[in-house]
Amino acid sequence: MNHSEQTESRHGLDAVIEAYKKDVDITLIRENLRLTVDQRFQQLMKLQQFAEELRYAGRKARSQS
Amino acid sequence: MTDFTALIRQLTENEVEFIIVGGAAATAHGSARLTLDLDVVYSRSATNISRIVKALQPLQPYLRGAPPGLPFEWSVETVQKGLNFTLTTKLGALDLLGEIIGGGGYDQLLAETIQIEVGGQKCLCLGLERLIQVKRAAGRPKDLETIAELERIQEESAG
Repeated sequence: MNHSEQTESRHGLDAVIEAYKKDVDITLIRENLRLTVDQRFQQLMKLQQFAEELRYAGRKARSQS
Repeated sequence: MTDFTALIRQLTENEVEFIIVGGAAATAHGSARLTLDLDVVYSRSATNISRIVKALQPLQPYLRGAPPGLPFEWSVETVQKGLNFTLTTKLGALDLLGEIIGGGGYDQLLAETIQIEVGGQKCLCLGLERLIQVKRAAGRPKDLETIAELERIQEESAG
């Protein structure tokens, strides 16, 4: 990739990131920034557990259908 | 499920030199995104490799996604011969990285870390600005939404 292609690629990347930024839920970020780092990790682990429970429920529902 | 707190404790209690990067670092900075593994960049010094091997030995590390029964031995020699390891352990998924794209190794990243406290343990985490740079350098499509969120966090933190 030459220099102008690299610049074009970077601009393309920036445009996509800017587009995504519009959809970032700033209220969730503000909530998280109020927590301590430790609390953020506790929340992440709860989210992981919830996701695992959802996956299990999905598998169970599919096996019964 | 990955027990981030317990994994970090296992590393810090064994005095492993490591820096939290990736999705877990994003969580530390306030990201609301789900990540399933703990990514750390570790020092490649001989002393540190010995500490890592000792720290993870009781957790029965094995190559994630590999079929069971492979002749994989968790040892100093294995870590010395390799660089990046995607592992499954009794405490969950752990990526041990000797280097990361756009960031280099432990020594290159050290100056751009912050100290955080998780589960009562102090450890190092890649700073927000450097984390964004690393994710931009990696240029993976799956990281673009994360970069957008991290940049919003940066803007929000700047007030």
